[in-house]
Order: sequence, then C-alpha cells, then structure tokens
Amino acid sequence: MIRYEFLMQIRKRSLWISTAVLAVAMVVLQGDRGPRYVPDGTPARIVMTNWAVLFGVLLPLGFGMVLADRLVRDRRLGVGRVLDSLPTGPRTLVAGKYVGSVAATAVAGLATMLVAAGFEFAARRDPALFGWAFVAFALVMLPGLLFVGAFAVVTPMLITAPLFRILFVGYWFWGNMLSPLFLPSLTGTLLTPIGDYAASWLLGETALYAGVDGILPWLRPEPGATAAAVSAGILLLFALIVVLLVGPPLYRRQQRAA
Amino acid sequence: MDIKTRDLRRDFGKVQALRGVDLTITGGMFGLLGANGAGKTTLMRILAGVIPATSGQAIVGGHDLSTREGRVAVKRRLGYLPQDLGLYPDLTPREFLDYIGILKGLDDTAARRRQITDLLDMVGLTDVAGRKLKGFSGGMRRRVGIAQALLGDPALLIVDEPTAGLDPEERIRFRTLLSSLAGTRTVLLSTHVVEDVAQTCRETAVMAAGRIVFTGPVADLVSAADGVTWEVTTAGPAPAHGVVVSAVSRADGTRYRVVSAERPAPDAVPVAPTLEEGYVALMRRLSPAATP
Repeated sequence: MIRYEFLMQIRKRSLWISTAVLAVAMVVLQGDRGPRYVPDGTPARIVMTNWAVLFGVLLPLGFGMVLADRLVRDRRLGVGRVLDSLPTGPRTLVAGKYVGSVAATAVAGLATMLVAAGFEFAARRDPALFGWAFVAFALVMLPGLLFVGAFAVVTPMLITAPLFRILFVGYWFWGNMLSPLFLPSLTGTLLTPIGDYAASWLLGETALYAGVDGILPWLRPEPGATAAAVSAGILLLFALIVVLLVGPPLYRRQQRAA
Repeated sequence: MDIKTRDLRRDFGKVQALRGVDLTITGGMFGLLGANGAGKTTLMRILAGVIPATSGQAIVGGHDLSTREGRVAVKRRLGYLPQDLGLYPDLTPREFLDYIGILKGLDDTAARRRQITDLLDMVGLTDVAGRKLKGFSGGMRRRVGIAQALLGDPALLIVDEPTAGLDPEERIRFRTLLSSLAGTRTVLLSTHVVEDVAQTCRETAVMAAGRIVFTGPVADLVSAADGVTWEVTTAGPAPAHGVVVSAVSRADGTRYRVVSAERPAPDAVPVAPTLEEGYVALMRRLSPAATP
C-alpha cells in the first residue's frame, strides 16, 4: 500500500511545480546573506545547512498544501466506499497513506537540496557537498516534514482541506518565522518544524531564532546537539501521536458519516 | 455464504433508512429490487460491514455484524462493488487492483499478481492494464470495479447498482459476467433495474420504504401480475386506468402494456406478465394511492 501511495504522490504534478516554484523564489529572494554568497572554502556542512535553512523557510508550506488532500480525497473520489469494505483497519490505512505520501514529498525536498548541491559543486568542486545535502536534509528539513505531513494528512478530516491550508499558512508564519521579540509566538522553540535547532547545531551559531527570548522560555534552550535531538524527537513524537492516535478515530468517524 | 437479518434497523438522524428488515439468503444469485431511496444501499453497506445497524441482527456466514470481529471476518471473504465506484485516476488498473489486493490481505505477491492478470483478462481489460484510470469510460471503470471485488475469490459478492449508467452492450456483458460468478458463491445484486434481476436471479426480494415487501422466487414476483396485465393497441391516448408499463408505437397505433385490476379498455387483452409488471403490480398493491 505504501508503494502505491508513494507512486500517486510522486506522480502529482503540483508537488513538483510547487516545490520548484518555492525553491526558485527562495533562491531569488535570498539576498546577499544567502548560501549563494557564502565565501569559497566554507565547509560543505555550512554551505548545505544554509541551503536547508533557506529552503526550509517556504518549502514546507508547499508540502503541507500538497499533502492536505491525501486522506480526504478518498471520499471525494469515491474510493472510500471500496476501502471501507476491506478488512484493513483505519490505523493501517492512515499510517500507510501518511508514510507513502510523505516519503514521496521528501523525495521532492531532497531533490531540491541535491540540485543546490549540484550548483554549489559547479563552483566549489567539493564532492562532500552532496553528502552534506543528504545530512542537512535529514536533520534540518525531514523532522519538520514529518511533523507538517502528519497534521496535513489528518487535520482535513476534522476541518476541510481548503480551511486547513489557510490556517496552515497563518500558523507557518506565526509559529516559525515571526520574531518572538515582537509578538508572542512559537518561533525559536523546540516545537518549530523549520529545523532551526538542527541548523543552528550544524552551523555552530543561531540559524534563525533558536533559543531567542520569548514565551515559554523552557522550550528555548541554547542551541546544541542535545537541543537539536530533543527538537527532532518532539516533532516526531507529535507526528506519531497525530497519525496513530488522532487519525484513526477521525477516519472511522468519516467512514460512518459517508 | 448465508445471510440472515432479523428486524434490522438503521437510522440516519430522524430518517429511518431501514425499518425492520428480515431477510434470509442461502446462496446463488439473489436480486434486491426497489426504487431509489428504498433502503437497498443502506442494507448493502450494513451487510458489507461498512456501517453498523442501529438495532436488529445481521449474521453473514455465521459472523455477527454487530461485533468488530464479525465485520472484519466478513470483510475477509467479501467482494463489494459499491454504487458509485471511485478509482484513483493516477493509477493503472493493474496498480489499483494490486493496491486493493494488498489491503484485502493478499500477501503473497506472486499469487496476487497472477490473480490480477487473470481478473483483468476475465473483465476484458488486459489491453489497457497499463493505462491510467483517468481516461476510462464508465463501463471500463465498472469492469475494474468488479475485478477488485473478485480479488481474493470472495465467498460473498455484493454488487450495488452495477449496471447503472452503462450502455446496453456493457449492461449485457456485466449481467453475463455476474451470472457466471454465482455458481460457487453468493451474489447479492441490488438494483432498481428490473431487467437485471430478470436476466440473472432465481430469487429476489423487493424493498420499499426501508422494509422488505416481497421475498421469494422471481417467478412468484412475476405471478403477482397474473390476471392484471393487459395489452391494448390504440391510436388514441393511453388507457386512463392502471399503470402503463410500456408503450410501443406501431403503424396502427400505440401498443400499451398495462397493469390494472380492471380491464383498462374494452379491447384490452390479458397477457402473460413480465417481472417488471409483477414488480409494478406488487408496488401498486402496497400503495394504491401512489399510482393511478
């Protein structure tokens, strides 16, 4: 089942178009502090982490958008009527759809990092860039994708997919990019899926707002390896809770209402 | 696989979709007739384990559908073709069937794929097995639907309005296919198209307003119109009495077949009824105010 969910998502043109458009937008908008302007001789770790931070600003928005219909479209397409008659339970269905579609979405994210690594390699001639593309993606972008993906797949069973998308945009900017110095927000805490703590650890300095003063100070430790691991762990835990505990009852409720 | 329901009820808020359904099916091809809104689909969905009943009992193959274990057990031996079948447009028929096969618990990949190849051949879709489903016609989609229902060689096949929207050739093809499947399994065919039942089923039940109003051999339902089926040819208007079941234009006028307790016209002659006329006669008897 995961294989076919993966195939359906990877074949989705909007996944690739949105990823490409958002990635290009970030490359164009990065300004003179962006990764393209990192001096020659900078370690590949720093270069690719900067790219992961750059892409992590907007790509997850696109990911959330394209993942939002993966479960609810079964009802819209009418496939749900067949799925309801099968012996596979809601937990397996929800988890299978999540894993398959998020894995395909991760491929798009990783591809973006590898394309960036390719451009950097053309200039810097450091093959380690490709390896660090994988590492930066895995540590900075992937935990956030897993977190965002869980909510994107499950929440539209509670509210409609269009409403989810609107609220998600608001959450993304409020909870990940709005400086906590101006307004109370989750930005800079262990809970933000933008990968700030992991990026700060890899860079050896604060990437965006990790650890900056704000509400919930106990969620704002100094960036480091432990904080990065805790942040990733929290994001994964939330993803698991949403997919395995919240999703199945919502799916069952959806079945009964159909 | 036997099906037995007793005082089965299902409410959707204030709407009573099923009002105490008692039904026994012992095997073969069984037709469930009824108008739109009679409760057929609701009954199908309960028997397929998709929704629970509000009250009453439903036992399928010895499994009680009021328990989760019972529903799962039935689903393992069930093939279901819903009324409005949906498919994933970005998968091919082969991929879609493999997807459903996996969810049906057919874990032996080689055996599952062999079965899919055989099923695609049976429904005549081998040549398009690699084409994406989004370009498929209604008839082709329905054939994919029956193929997915047959995965795992189910003992019980529930097909809900399988020929709705199909052209005559597809409809005949579908009926022939369904008939061929009934030999070794129970096939429950729900339809409002009387001809589907007439051509394929030995036994039938009729539903109206959430209840079973007839159950028995198809021949008995036909007999409900014995003595009340007439044929009259006239150049004038249709007979005012009774229910006109068919009207065929001819050179000398229009030939009407009418179900009526009284002779509808002086020159009307009694004729042997069809299943459709039996159905109309039954409905008329149950609700004379609803039909003239």
